Amino acid sequence: MWRYALRRLVLAVPVLLGVSTGVFLMAALVPGDPATVLAGDTASVAQIERIRQDLGLDQPLPIQYARFMERLILHGSLGESTRTHREVLVEIMDRMPYTLELAIGAVILSTLVGVASGVVAAIYRGRRWDYGITGVAAFALAIPSFLIAILMILLFSLQLRWLPVTGAGTWQHLVLPTVALALHSAAVKARITRSSMLEVLGHDYLRTARAKGLRERVVVIRHALKNALIPITTLIGLQFGSLLGGAFIIENIFGWPGIGRLATQAVFNRDFPIVQGTVLVGAVIYFSANLVVDLLYAWLDPRIRYS
Amino acid sequence: MIRLARLVPVFLFIVAACGGPPPSSSQGPAATAASKVGGTVTFPAITDPDTLDLHKTSNPVSSTIFGFIYEPLVDQDLSNNYIGRLAESWTVSPDNKIITFKLRKGVRFTDGSAFNAEAAKFTFERLQKVGAKSPIFPTFSNVIKMEAPDELTFTMTLKDPYAPIFHDLATSYAGILSPSAVKAANDDIGRTAIGTGSYKLKEWQTGQQIVLERNAEYAWPLAFFANRGAPYIEQIRYRVIPEPNSQLAALEAGEIDSLGLPAKDLPKYQNDPRFKIYDSLTFGLTYLGFDAKRKPFDDPKLRHALAQAVNKQEIVDVVFEGKLARAACCPIAESIQGYDPKLKEFELKFDTAKAKTELDAIGYKAGASGLRTAPDGSAFKPVLYTSNSDTHGKIATLLQAQLKAVGVDLQVKQLEPGALLAATPKAEHDLYLNGYSWNEPDMFSLFLSCDRIASSNRVLYCNPELEKLIVAGRTTLDQAKRMQIYFDAQKLTLQEAPWQPLYMPIGKTAVSVKIQDLKQSASGGVFWHDAWVKK
Repeated sequence: MWRYALRRLVLAVPVLLGVSTGVFLMAALVPGDPATVLAGDTASVAQIERIRQDLGLDQPLPIQYARFMERLILHGSLGESTRTHREVLVEIMDRMPYTLELAIGAVILSTLVGVASGVVAAIYRGRRWDYGITGVAAFALAIPSFLIAILMILLFSLQLRWLPVTGAGTWQHLVLPTVALALHSAAVKARITRSSMLEVLGHDYLRTARAKGLRERVVVIRHALKNALIPITTLIGLQFGSLLGGAFIIENIFGWPGIGRLATQAVFNRDFPIVQGTVLVGAVIYFSANLVVDLLYAWLDPRIRYS
Repeated sequence: MIRLARLVPVFLFIVAACGGPPPSSSQGPAATAASKVGGTVTFPAITDPDTLDLHKTSNPVSSTIFGFIYEPLVDQDLSNNYIGRLAESWTVSPDNKIITFKLRKGVRFTDGSAFNAEAAKFTFERLQKVGAKSPIFPTFSNVIKMEAPDELTFTMTLKDPYAPIFHDLATSYAGILSPSAVKAANDDIGRTAIGTGSYKLKEWQTGQQIVLERNAEYAWPLAFFANRGAPYIEQIRYRVIPEPNSQLAALEAGEIDSLGLPAKDLPKYQNDPRFKIYDSLTFGLTYLGFDAKRKPFDDPKLRHALAQAVNKQEIVDVVFEGKLARAACCPIAESIQGYDPKLKEFELKFDTAKAKTELDAIGYKAGASGLRTAPDGSAFKPVLYTSNSDTHGKIATLLQAQLKAVGVDLQVKQLEPGALLAATPKAEHDLYLNGYSWNEPDMFSLFLSCDRIASSNRVLYCNPELEKLIVAGRTTLDQAKRMQIYFDAQKLTLQEAPWQPLYMPIGKTAVSVKIQDLKQSASGGVFWHDAWVKK
C-alpha cells in the first residue's frame, strides 16, 4: 500500500506542474491587464508602465513563465500578491484554516446526515420514511446553496436572532455556512447510500447473517453498511473538491474569510499569483483527499489489493 | 470610475473622519466629555484593504482607513477651501513654484516619535520612489526638490506651477508617515500603519475585520471641532462583508452601524426609528462618452445629435427612483469647485425631434424598419461598453430604448471592471458609460486630455483647444481666472460632446441612532471627531 501511495505522490508532480502551467496560461489569456487594474482608472500611461515593469509583465510570456516555474520549483515560492505585496503562501495560509474548517465541517455533517438518511430510506423502502427522505433530498438538490444561505439568514439571524449573519471565529459563526454548504452534498450522499444499501441488502450473505440470528442493527450496520460505503467513500473524495468550490459562493455570502473569497477577489483584481496559488493549493487538496479515499478502500474491502 | 464610482457615496460618507463643520449644540446637557468616551462603531467593507502602505495603493477601502490613521499637511473646510492640517500655514512664491509650509508644533506619531519637516520630506521622497500605484504619484513627478530647513519648515519646489497640488496634498494618500516606524518595519508597512491620526491600528484579521483604536494622545483636532482632544468613540471597526445583501442583513441584525442604501431599500429605512438617513453628494458624475478618435463618432455632429436623444431625467427616475441621483448638466459635478449653473445654457437637453433632424442632416437616414443606416448605407449599430454592475446594466437598457426612439440600434456590451479597463484604451467601443470621482476641476486632465488617451481618457478625445485650457487650468493659481478657464473648458466640452453628462449620484446612508452628534458638511461628508456612542 505504501508503495502504491508513493507512486501516486510521484505521479502527482506532473499533474500539479500541468495545473500550474494551465493556470499560468489561463491568467495570461484573461482579458484585463493587472497593471491597469492595480493603477486604478485615473492612472497615467507612465504609471501603468512602471507598475507593469515592477511586476515583470513587460517581459515576453515565455520569460514570465520561466520565472514563474523557476520560483515555484527552485524556491518553492508562488510569488507575491500584486495587490497586497505579501507572499502568496502567507496569504493562503492565513485563509486556509477557515476554508478547511468549513469544508471539513460540511463533509462531516453531510456524511452523517446523508448516510444516516440513506440507510433509513433503504430500510424503510417504499414507506413513509423513504418518501420523506427522498423528497427532502430532491428538494435540497434542486435548490441552489446561495438561496438556502439567504433563507437561513432570514430565519435564523434576522427572525429568530439565534445566529450571526456574517463573520468567523466562534461556533455560532460556523453553523449557517456549514449547513448551507453541506445540504446539497448530504442529499447526494443520501441518495447514493439508499441505492447502494438496497443493492447490498438483497445479497445472500445478509440473509445468512439474519439466519445466524444476528440482530437487525448488527446486520445493517456491520454487514450491509460497511459494504455499501465504498461508493460513498469515493463520493466523499470527489465532493471534497466540489465543497471547496462551493465555498466560493458561501464564503462571500457569509463573509467567511476563506480561500474561496481570496480567490474571487484575486480574479477581479487580476491578482494572478494569488489565483495561481489558490488553484494549485486546491489541486493539492483535491489530490490528497482522493488518495486518502483510495487508501481507505482496502480497509473497507480487504479484497482490494494495491499493485 | 469603475471601482470608485460604486463605492464613493459610502466612502465619502465615512472618510471625512477628521475635518468638519462648526460645533453644534446638540450634545445634550448631561453628556460630559468623559461620559462620551467609549463604544464601538462598525462599518461594512466590501473587501479588506489591499495594504495600509499609503504609497502602494489606490484602493478606496485603504483610503478610507488612511483617513483615520494618517493626516496630510492640508485639508479642506466645509466650503471646499484648503486649510492646514499638519501644516499651520503656507506661502507660495511669486512664480508659483515654491511652496513653504509652516508645520504644526507638538504633533506626535502613535509610535511616540515627533512629527517634523524631516518626516514630511521622508514621506514624499518615499512616494516618489515607491508610489507608482498611488493616485497622487504623477503630481510628485512635478516636484523637483524638497527641503526641511528647520524642524517646522518644509518646502516643495515644483518644475512648473501646478494648481491642483493642494487637492492632491489634501487626499488621504498624502498622509505623513513616521520615518522611525518605516525604518523599524524595514519599509514593510503594509500591515503596520503608524500615523499622527486620531485612531491607530489595533488589529487586522485578514478577511474578517480591521479594528482601529482611539489615539488617546491626540490633541490637535482642526479648529472647528467642539471636541478639542482625542475622539470619543473607543473603536472603529471595519467588518469585511462582500455581499450587498449580507451587508443589509448585518445592518438589520445590528452587526454593523452604518450602510449606504440602495434605492429599493430606502423607503424601508426612512421610516425606521433605529436609523437616521444621511445624504451625501459624490465628487463626480456618470457620463455617456463617445469614442471620439474613431469613425463614426469622431464627427462632433453625430455626437451632438445622439447626446440629445438621451433623457437624463428618465434615467434618474427609473434607475434611481428619483432619489439617489440628480441629473447632471455639465462635466464638472455640482459638488466640485468649477461647477457653474450658468453652463446649463449650453447643456445638450433631451430633444428627440432635434436629434432626429440632426441625424437626418448628416446622412443617417431611417429605413422602412425605422432604424437608421450610416451615410454609406451600411448598418448603424454602435456598441456601448460599460461595466457589469446592475446600475450600469439598467442604464444601458434605458439608453437602448431612448436611442431606438430616434432610430439608432444600440448594442450593449457589459464587461467585468478589469476587462473594461483594458478594453477602452484599445478603442473597441463606440460609446462608453461610466463615471468619474475626482474632487478637482483638473479632472479634465485625467479624463479628457490628449496625453491620457491610452489610459484614463476613455473616450479618446483630443482637442488642442481644450488642451490649452487644461494646461492653463493646471498652472493658474489665481482662483477667479482659474474658474473662468474651467467655465470655458466645460462650454467647449458641451459643444463638442465627447461626453454627455448623465447624473450625479446621491448617497443615502443609514446610521444607527445610537451614534450621537454626527455632523455633515454641505456636500454630505460626515465627521466623526465629535461623535459618540449612546450607552
